[in-house]
Amino acid sequence: MENSRSRGPSISPAAVVVAAVFLLVSVIGINWFTSFVPVVLPEQASAESKSVDELFYILVIIGGVVFFLIQGMLLISVIAFRARPDDHSDGPTYHGNPLLEIIWTIIPALVVVFLAVISFNIWNQNSQPKASVNMIDGHSITINVTGARYAWTHTYVTERFDPNGTQIIINSGADLHTYIGQNVDLTLQTQDVIHSYWVPAMRVKQDLLPGDPMQGGRPTALRFTPVRVEGRPYPAEYPIVCAELCGDGHGRMRGTVIVYEDESQFLEQFYEPAIHAILNPPADPVLRGEVEIQNYICNSCHILDSLGWTSTTGPTLNGIADRAGERVPGQSAEEYIATSIWNSGAFRVPGYDQQMAAFGPDVMETANIMSPEQLYSIVAYLCTQGEASDCDMENPGRAIPNAITTVFGYDVDITFGMEAEEVAEEEVAEIEESAETPAEDGEESEGSDDSA
Amino acid sequence: MATIAVPLGAEAEGQEADAIKRPALSEYLRWSVDHKIIGVQYGISSFLFFIIGGAMAMLIRLELWSPDLDLMVSGAAYNSLFTIHGTIMIFLFIIPMWAAFGNFVVPLQLGAKDMAFPWLNAFAFWLIPPAAVVVLLGYFVSPAEAGWTSYPPLSTIFSGDGQTLWALGAHLLGISSIMGSINFIVTIFNMRPPEMTIWRMPLLCWAVLATSIIAVMATPFLAGALTLLLLDRVAGTTFFDAAGGGDVLLWQNIFWFYSHPAVYIMVLPGMGVLSEVLSIHSRKPVFGYRMVGLSSMGIAFVGFTVWAHHMFTSLQPELRIPFMITTMIIAVPTGIKMFSWLGTIWGGKIRFTSAMLFALGFLSLFVIGGITGVMLAALPFDIHVHDTYFVVSHFHFVLFGGSVFAIYAALYHWFPKITGRMMNERLGVIHFVFTYLGFLFTFFPMHIVGMLGMPRRVAVYDARFTDWNQLISFSAFVLGFSTFIVIFNVIRSYYRGPIAGANPWRALTLEWQTTSPPPPTNFVDDPIPFEEPYGYGTAASAAYLEAVDEAFGSGAPDGRGGH
Repeated sequence: MENSRSRGPSISPAAVVVAAVFLLVSVIGINWFTSFVPVVLPEQASAESKSVDELFYILVIIGGVVFFLIQGMLLISVIAFRARPDDHSDGPTYHGNPLLEIIWTIIPALVVVFLAVISFNIWNQNSQPKASVNMIDGHSITINVTGARYAWTHTYVTERFDPNGTQIIINSGADLHTYIGQNVDLTLQTQDVIHSYWVPAMRVKQDLLPGDPMQGGRPTALRFTPVRVEGRPYPAEYPIVCAELCGDGHGRMRGTVIVYEDESQFLEQFYEPAIHAILNPPADPVLRGEVEIQNYICNSCHILDSLGWTSTTGPTLNGIADRAGERVPGQSAEEYIATSIWNSGAFRVPGYDQQMAAFGPDVMETANIMSPEQLYSIVAYLCTQGEASDCDMENPGRAIPNAITTVFGYDVDITFGMEAEEVAEEEVAEIEESAETPAEDGEESEGSDDSA
Repeated sequence: MATIAVPLGAEAEGQEADAIKRPALSEYLRWSVDHKIIGVQYGISSFLFFIIGGAMAMLIRLELWSPDLDLMVSGAAYNSLFTIHGTIMIFLFIIPMWAAFGNFVVPLQLGAKDMAFPWLNAFAFWLIPPAAVVVLLGYFVSPAEAGWTSYPPLSTIFSGDGQTLWALGAHLLGISSIMGSINFIVTIFNMRPPEMTIWRMPLLCWAVLATSIIAVMATPFLAGALTLLLLDRVAGTTFFDAAGGGDVLLWQNIFWFYSHPAVYIMVLPGMGVLSEVLSIHSRKPVFGYRMVGLSSMGIAFVGFTVWAHHMFTSLQPELRIPFMITTMIIAVPTGIKMFSWLGTIWGGKIRFTSAMLFALGFLSLFVIGGITGVMLAALPFDIHVHDTYFVVSHFHFVLFGGSVFAIYAALYHWFPKITGRMMNERLGVIHFVFTYLGFLFTFFPMHIVGMLGMPRRVAVYDARFTDWNQLISFSAFVLGFSTFIVIFNVIRSYYRGPIAGANPWRALTLEWQTTSPPPPTNFVDDPIPFEEPYGYGTAASAAYLEAVDEAFGSGAPDGRGGH
C-alpha cells in the first residue's frame, strides 16, 4: 500500500496499448474535427469572418485535445479498471498527487491565458474603426438600420439632393446593399424592443437598444467589410437574422445583405436606379404607392394578398378600401386611411392590442419618415384594395390631398401624379377659382364631402 | 490504523429483512418538519415539474419539426412555451431538486438529527406550490412570453399580465431558495459531529455549502431586479424605460448578476454528487479531496465576476474584454474537478451500477459543455454564435448533461436509503442508454445549426435547417421517452425492489450508517464518522463497514442489488 501511495496505481499492459490507440485516435480525430470547420460555418463573406474562423479553428484544436484526453481517460478507465464479477475488494487507497494537481491547474490556466490573448487580438483588429466607411461615389454616407417589430429597414442618407434641395434618402427596406471592399459601418436604432442584427456570413452581431427618443435614441454600431467568396455569382445574397427575442414575429424578422461585385456594379444596379426612382416617381399615384408601401415595414404586421404579405400581427389590409369609409363616423375613407398611417395612435382596430408605429411628420426614426406626397400615393394605392372602394375613385388626385390637408393641415404637392398638361390646366383652374372667390374654403370641403 | 471506530451504540439491533419502516404516503402530503419528508416532498414536486417542463420541450420540438408555424397558433404562443419551459426547468425543477437531495442527505451525512431550522425548512418548501400556481396561472390571462430572461422592454410595456404573475412567482421561488440556503449554511457549519472537521466533511456537503453561499449572495439581486420589473409593470416607474430616464441594460446587468451564479447553483450540487458516486462505486478515495472541495468555493467566487458575458452583443465594446478573461478563468477550477474525478476512477474497481453510469455520463457530456463554454467566452467567436442554437446546446450540455445526469445518479444512488429498496439495475442501464444517446443526438447537432445561422427562440426558421431539426426532434422524443423508464422503475422499485439494507454500496459516509430509511431521529445514537469520508481500501475502513453490517445486517450484497 505504501508503494501505491508513492507511485500511484499500477497500469496494466492492456491499458498501455489502449493509451497508444487513444493517442492515435485523438490525432486522427482532431484532424477530422478540423476538417468540419468550413462545413459547420457559413461562407466567409467578410474580412472579419476569416479571423473569427481562425480563432474557431484554434478553439476546435484545443477543445479537441481536451475532449480526447478526457473521453480517452474515461474510456480507458471503464475498460481497464472495471471490477471483475467476483472481485468485491476495494481499489488502492490513493489520495492524490500534489504535483499532478499543480500541473492540471497551471496548464489549463496557461491555455486560457493564451486563448484570451489571441481572442483579444482578433477582437481588437476587427473592432478598429476604419478610415473610410460607407464610401459611395466618393462620399462617406450614413447608413441607418432600423429594427421594428418585425422587420428591418435600411436607409441610405445620400449626398444627393432633389430639385427642392432636400437630401435624398434611399429606403431599401429589408435589404442592405453593399459591395466587396466597402467598409460598412451601420448605425442601428430600434423603434420598440431590443433586436439583434446578425449576419451569419459576416460573423457580426450587434443588439439594437431602446434609448430615449428625445435624445436621439441609443444608436449602436456594426462594422464589417465584405470580401469575395470564390465561386459565388454576384450580386451575392446573405441572410440577416434577428437574434434577440422581440415577440410574436421574431422568427420571421429577416432581411438580406446584397453584396455587389464592385462599386460600379453597386452604383449601376442599386444606387443610381434608386435615386432615379426617387427623383422620377411613377406618374400614377397608385403605381407609386405600390412601390412606396413596400419601403416601409407594413408587411411585418399586415396581410395583403396583392403583395404577398402574410403576417397576422395586425389587422388585414385586404379589402381595406371597402371598410375604411365606415370605420369612424364623419371621416371619409381617405381621411381614415391617412390618419391610420400618419397618426396611428388615433384608432385601434377592435381585437388587436398592439399599437402600430406612427409615420407622421413628427417621427424621430428615419425609417418612418413619410412625406405628404408618399402618404398620398400610399393612400391612393390602398384605395384600390377592395371591390367597391369607399374612396372617391373618380378623382383621387383631389380627394386624397384634400383629406390630408383636412386632417393634418399639410399641403400635398400632387404634380407627380399628373401629366404636365393636366397640371397646367389644374393650376390655371385654381388660379381662376381663387381669383373669383378669394376667401372661400367651402369649395374644397364641399368637394370632399361629395366624395365621402 | 489500529483503532476501529464502531459507528453505533449497542442498542442498534439487526433489522429484519422485510420490515422496512417507511413513513405513510400521507405524511408526504402534509406539513412536516422532518428533513427526510421535506426532501422527498421537494423531490416528488420537482420531478412533476420536470415532467411538465419536459412535455413542453416535446411540444417545442414538435413545432420545430417543420420550418413553418404549424403546431402553435402564433409565434407568441410558442414564445410562452419556451418561456415557461425554461422557468419551470430552472426554478421549479433543478434548483428545488437539489434542495431535495440536500435536505435528505446533508443532515444524514453530518450525523445530525435534522436541519438547523426545521420549521424554516418546511416553510421554504411550501412556498414552491403557490409560486408554481402563480406562474402557471399566467396561462389564464396572457402567459409570459419574453423568455425566462425577460428582457425589458419586451417584458414591460410589450407583455401582458402573465408577465406580472411570472415575476411574482419567481419572487416567491427566490425567497424559498434563500431560506433553504441559509438553513444549509447554518446546518453545515454547526451540526457536524465533533470528529468531523471541515476537511473531513463529505464533498456533497462542500458542494451544498458553496451552492448555498452563492444562493444567499446572488438571489437578493434577482429579487431586486424582479421588484424593479414589477414596479415598472404595475406602478408606472421607468427603471428600464429609456424615455423616462431608465436603462434596458440595467435589467440585464442585475438579472445576470444573479442568473450566471445560478448556473453554479444548479450544477455545483451535481458535482458534489459526482464526487460521492465516483468514489463509492469505484471503491477508491476521491483524488485530491481538498482541491475538489476548494474548487467548489473557487467556482462560487469567480462565478460572481463573469455575468456580463451574457451581454457580449449589447455591452459597451470596451467592457467586453474583462468579462471574457474572467469567464475563461472559471474553466480552471472546473478543470481541476474533471481531472480529479478521472484520477478518482483511475485504477479503481469500477462497479457499473446505474448511479455510476450516470456519473460517468456526466463526465463525458459535461466536458463538451465545458469546452463550448470556453469557446463562448472567446469574444470574437461568441459574437457569431451569441443567441443561437449553439448557446442552447451549450447550456443544455451543462444543465442536462451535467445537472440532470447528476440528479439521475443521485436518484439511483440514494433511492435505497430513501425507500429502503433497491432500484432495478437492468432498467437503470436501459434508462441510461436511452437518455445518453437521446441527449447526445438532440443537443450535439444544435451546435451546428447554431453556427450555420439559426437563432434561438424562433418558431419559424430557414428551410435549410429542416433536416437538422428533424434529427434533433426525433432524438428529443427518444430522450423524452427515456423518462418513462425511470418513472416506471421508481414506482416498481418502491413496492417490489429488493430490500436494500443499511449500506448497500458499502459506503463510508454517515448516511449509510443507519437503517434504510432512517428512523425519524436519523440515528439511534450519536454516530461516529469514519476518520475520512472516502478512505476505501484500508483495513480500518473494512472493519468499519463490517461493524455496520453487523449492526444492521447486510442487505443487497456488495452494491450489486437488484438482480
